[in-house]
Amino acid sequence: MFKIIMQHIHGRAKLFFFMSPLIMMGEVFCDLQQPTLMSQIIDNGLAKNDLHYVINHALLMLMFAMLGLIFGATGGTLGSYASLKMGQQLRSHMLEISLIDRNPGGLEPATLITRITNDVTQMQTLVMMMTRGMVRSPMLLFGGIVMSIIICPDLAPILFVIMPILVIFLLIVVLKSIPKYTKMQQAIDTVNRIMRENLQGAKTIKSYVLENHQMNQFKDENNHLRQTSQNAAMATVILSPIIQLMLNLGVVVALGYGGSLAISKTISNGQIIAFVNYMIQITSAMIQTVNIITSFSRAITSSARVQAVLDEEPKKQVTTSSNDKPVDDSISFDDVTFGYQTSEPILDKVTFNVPDGDWLGIIGATGSGKSSLIKLLTRSFDEYDGIIKIGGVDIQKMNLQDVHQKMTVALQDSLLFSGTVRSNLTYGNESATDEDLDVSSDIADASEFIDKLPKRYDSVVEQTGKNFSGGQRQRLNIARSIVPNSDILVMDDATSAVDQETNARIKNRLEKYRKNKTTIIISQRVTNVMDCNQIIVLINGRISASGTHKELLKESTFYRQLVQTQLGGGINGHA
Amino acid sequence: MDMHRRVPRNIHPEKVQLNNWKDTVKRVWNYLDARKIKLFIVFLLTIVTTAVTIVGNRINGLVIDDYISKNQLHALLVICSIMAVMYVVSSFFTYFQNSIIIKVAQDTSARIRHDVFTNLQRLPMKYFDTHDNGDVMSRLTNDVDNINTALMQTFVQLFTGIISVIGMGMAMLILSPLLTGITLLSSVATYFFSKAISKITQKAFMTQQRDLGSLNTQIEESVSGKQLVQLFDHTESTMSEFDRTNGEYTKAAFKAQSLSSIIGPFNNMTNNVAYLLITMAGAISILSGSKAITVGTIFTFLIYLRNFTGPINNVLNLINTLQLSLASAERVFELIDEEPEQDNSDAVAVKQTAGNVQFDHVTFAYDKKTILKDINLTAKQGEVVALVGPTGAGKTTIMNLLTNLYPLKKGRVLLDGRDVTAIHMYDLRRLVTVVQQESFLFTMSIRENIRLGRPSATDNEVEEAAKQANADTFINQLPDGYDTILTENARSLSQGQRQLLSIARAFVTGAPVLVLDEATASIDSNTEADVQLAMTALMRNKTSFVIAHRLSTIQRADQILVINDGKIIEQGTHQSLLAKHGFYSELYNSQFDITN
Repeated sequence: MFKIIMQHIHGRAKLFFFMSPLIMMGEVFCDLQQPTLMSQIIDNGLAKNDLHYVINHALLMLMFAMLGLIFGATGGTLGSYASLKMGQQLRSHMLEISLIDRNPGGLEPATLITRITNDVTQMQTLVMMMTRGMVRSPMLLFGGIVMSIIICPDLAPILFVIMPILVIFLLIVVLKSIPKYTKMQQAIDTVNRIMRENLQGAKTIKSYVLENHQMNQFKDENNHLRQTSQNAAMATVILSPIIQLMLNLGVVVALGYGGSLAISKTISNGQIIAFVNYMIQITSAMIQTVNIITSFSRAITSSARVQAVLDEEPKKQVTTSSNDKPVDDSISFDDVTFGYQTSEPILDKVTFNVPDGDWLGIIGATGSGKSSLIKLLTRSFDEYDGIIKIGGVDIQKMNLQDVHQKMTVALQDSLLFSGTVRSNLTYGNESATDEDLDVSSDIADASEFIDKLPKRYDSVVEQTGKNFSGGQRQRLNIARSIVPNSDILVMDDATSAVDQETNARIKNRLEKYRKNKTTIIISQRVTNVMDCNQIIVLINGRISASGTHKELLKESTFYRQLVQTQLGGGINGHA
Repeated sequence: MDMHRRVPRNIHPEKVQLNNWKDTVKRVWNYLDARKIKLFIVFLLTIVTTAVTIVGNRINGLVIDDYISKNQLHALLVICSIMAVMYVVSSFFTYFQNSIIIKVAQDTSARIRHDVFTNLQRLPMKYFDTHDNGDVMSRLTNDVDNINTALMQTFVQLFTGIISVIGMGMAMLILSPLLTGITLLSSVATYFFSKAISKITQKAFMTQQRDLGSLNTQIEESVSGKQLVQLFDHTESTMSEFDRTNGEYTKAAFKAQSLSSIIGPFNNMTNNVAYLLITMAGAISILSGSKAITVGTIFTFLIYLRNFTGPINNVLNLINTLQLSLASAERVFELIDEEPEQDNSDAVAVKQTAGNVQFDHVTFAYDKKTILKDINLTAKQGEVVALVGPTGAGKTTIMNLLTNLYPLKKGRVLLDGRDVTAIHMYDLRRLVTVVQQESFLFTMSIRENIRLGRPSATDNEVEEAAKQANADTFINQLPDGYDTILTENARSLSQGQRQLLSIARAFVTGAPVLVLDEATASIDSNTEADVQLAMTALMRNKTSFVIAHRLSTIQRADQILVINDGKIIEQGTHQSLLAKHGFYSELYNSQFDITN
C-alpha cells in the first residue's frame, strides 16, 4: 500500500506528503501547551496575586492558539495537495494500463471502472489521513500522556491503569465486530441484488405471476439484513459508554486521590485541573484513533484492488518494426493456433488466404473462435502460434499503428461515446467531411434517422449512446467503421440488432461500395456471407469447411442445415 | 421493449426541497408509533445521562473549591464515591439507550423497506417503463439508509442536544453569566464560521463535483470502449484528454478541500481561545477580589466548554440533517404511494381456457401517443398466429395487451369471449405464457429458474421440460448441472442457451395460450436449430402468437398478420399474402429472396 503511494507521488507533492505530518505535529504541540499554561495561571498567577503573570500567560495561550491554527491549516492544505496529486497520478496510470493492456482474460470493465474511480478515491482519503489524522490523533494521545506525566507525575499511575484497559477493550470490541460487519455487508448485497433483479425482471415477474415468490424471498432476506445490522451495531454499541465510564472514573480518581495529595500539599489545584484536562484530550484522541484504524482497514482493501490493476502493467514493448510495408491488401493465416494456457485451444491450426480485394465470410456458432480470429488479426492479442500476414508482411513485424491504420473493424458491441453524432462518426478519421459522413451513413442506413434529428450530425450522443435505440446505435457503429474507408474492413457480427430488411439494405450497399476492396464479414446470418468470394465455416476453433456458397451447400452439412433453418425449405430450390 | 425507446425517461432529480414536510413527519411518526414506549424510555434515559453529565461537571468544580481547598479529606472521598456510582449507572443507561435506539431504527427501516418493496411488486408495467432503475434503486437503498441514520442519530442527538443545552446553559448561567457568555460565544462562532466557510466552499465543491462527474464518465467510457480505443488507435488522444480533465478535477478539488480544511483547525482555535478567555477572565475576576468566580468555577467551565460545543453544534446542524432525511423519506413515501395495479371490481377467477383469443377494435395509446389503431384479430384454439413487420411497428405492444399489462384506450381483448380485464390478473397471466426475447433469469439455480414457470412443479417435471426445450444437454454439461447457480441474468451463458432456459420455463407452465417473441437474430447457429425445434414443440396444441423473424416460423403459421405503424395492413397465409404482391411480399423478397 505504501509502495503504491510512493510510486505515484512525486516532486512537490512528495515533499508536502512528508512535510504535512511534521507541521501537524506543530499543531499538536500548540494544543498541548494550553492546559499547562492554564494551570500555571491558576497556581502561580492566582497564588501570587500577579496580574501581569496572568495576562502574559493568557497572551502566550493566544499565541499558541493562533500558531495552532496556522500549523493546522497549512498542514491540512499540504496534505490535501499531496493526496490529490497522488490520486491524479494513480488514476492516470491505472487508466493507461487498462487501455494499453492487451492480455486476454484481464479484469472485467465494470470492476476496472470501480477500481479507477472509487478505490482511487479511497486511496486519496488514505493519504489525507496519513498526513493528518494518523499523525494528529496518535500524537495528541502520546503527547497528552507525556504532558500529563510531566505536569503531575503523582497522578500518572491513573493513566497507566486506564489506558491499557481501554486499549485492550477497544481492540477486542473492534476485532469482534469486524466479522459481524462483513455479514451485514453481505446481507446488504443480497437485498440490493433482489431489488435490482426485481426491477430488471419486472416484465418476467408479471408474466409469470412471480410477485408472491419474490415477496417471500425478499421478506426472508430483509429480515436477515435487519438481524445482521442489529448484530453489527450491537457489537460496537458498548464502546462509547465504556470509554465515557473509564474517562469519568479516571477523573473521579484524579480528584479523590489528587485531592488528598493536594490537601497534604504535595500537588496543587492547578496540577489537578490540568491533569483532568489532559485526560479529556487523551480520551478524545483515543476515540479518533479507533475511528482512523477502522477507515484504515477499509483503505487496505482498496489498495489491494488497486494493486491488482497495477500488476497488469505490460512489460516494455519491444517494437520489432521493420520497414516492410504491405504490398497489397491480402490477408493470410498460416497454421494459427491460439488459446488461454489451461483450456482447449480457441483457434486450432487455422489456415486461409484472402487475395487482395476479395470478400471473406466467416460463419460459425458463438464460441467458435470467430471473434478471437479478428482479435489476432488486429493484434489485440500477440501470443499465438503460426503466422498472420497482411500484404505479405508478418503483422508481428509491423508497427501496431500501421496495422490499425490498414484496417477498420465494426464490432458487434456498438458502443458510442458521449459527444455528438459527428464526433462518433469521425472517430476513425478526424478530417472526414460532411460528404464523407453522408456517404457512410447512407451505406449504414443511418441517414434516414440522422436526418430526422434536429441538429443532424451535431446532435448530442449521451454516454454509451443510450439516447439511441439498439438498431440505431448499430447503424452508427457501422457508419463509423466505413468513414475511414480503410484498405481492409472487418464487420464482426455488426448487424445483429437491426431487422432483416435493414440488414439486407446495408449488405447490398456495402457490396457496391467496397467492390474489389478486401472485406471480412463475420455473421450468424447466412444471407450476410453467402455472396462472399470465400466462406469459412468455423466450428470449435477449426475450419470445418470453406468455399463459395454453392460449394458449401454441397459439401458442408452444418452449412446446409443453417441455410435450412434460416432461409426455410422453399429457398433451397433456387440455389 | 419497443416502448422503452419512445417514452422519454422520467428521471427524478435529487429533490432537497420538501413538498409537504408535515405529512412526511407524520408518516415517519406512524412507523414509530408501535415503538412509542421504547422511545419514551430512551427519552427518560437521556434525561438521566445528560443530568449526570451536567451535575458531574459541576461537582468537579465544587470538589476543588469546597473540599480540596478547605482540606475536607473525608468528605472528598465520600463525594468521589458518589460520583463513581453515578457514572457507572449513567454508563449503563447510555448503553441501554443506544441499544434500544439501534433496534428501533433497524426495525423501522426494515419495515419501510418491506413496504416499499411490497408496493413495487404491484406497480403497473408502465411504472417500470417510465422510471429509471437507478433512481428507484437509490430510493430503496440510499434513501432508506438516510432514514435509518436519521432515526439512529437524530433522535438521541436531538434529545441530548436540547436537554444539554438547556440544562447546562442554566447551570452555567447560575454559576457565572460572564463565563457563560464566553462559552456561548465560542460555540456560536464555531457554528457560523463553518457555515460561512461552507458557503464559500460550496461553489468550489460544486465545481469539484461536476469535474468528478466528467472524469468518471471518461473513465467509464474509455474502459468499456477499450477495444474501440485500441482499434482506432486512440489511446494517446484519449489519455491526453483524460489527463486534462484529471488535472482540472484535481485543481478544483484542491481549491475546495484546502478551503474546507481550515474548518477543523479554526474550530480548534476558537475552542482554545474560549479556553484561555475563561481562564483569564476567571483569574482576573478572582484577582480583583470578586467572590463570584472561584478556581472550581473555572475548572467546571473548562469542562463544560468541551461538553457544550458538541451538542449545541449538533442541534444547529440537525436542522440541515433533518431536512435531508425528510427529503429522503418523502422520496420513499412517493414510491409507497404509487398507484398499484388492481383487478377490476367485476373481475372473476378463471382457471381454465380453451384458448380462443379475439382483439375487438383495440386502440392503445401510450401517454398521448397512439401506438395501436383499431386492431382486430381472431385466433381459434390451437392456431399459430405470426406477427411480422418492421421494428417498432407495435408487434410487442399487441402481445402486451393480451396479458393486460397496459390499459386499453378503446376496444376489448377477449379470451374465450370474456374481456381480459374481467379476469383476475394473476389468473390471466397464468393462462398465457410469455416467452420474451430476453426473459429474465434470476440469481438462483437453473432448476429453480425453470421451476418459476410453475412453483409446484417437481424436479422430474422441471427436467422433463428442459428436455423438451432441448436445454437438457447443455445443462448437463455444466459442472453443477441443474444446480448451477446463475448470476447477473445468466451472463455466463450464451444468448441461445438463455433462450432455451426461458423456453423450458414456458414448458413448465403448461398454459394453453402462448406468446413467443422470437429473438431478432444472433442466436448462435449451433443452438439456433435447437431453439427452433423447441419453439415448435412448445407451440404444439396451444393457441400461439409469434412475433416472428424466421421464415420457417412464418411459413408454418395458420395466419400471418402484417403490422406496420400500429395497424394490421395485411392478413392471410404465406401463400395468399405472396400472391397479393403487397407489403408482405416486398418484405419477404427483401429479406429472404436470395436469387436477386
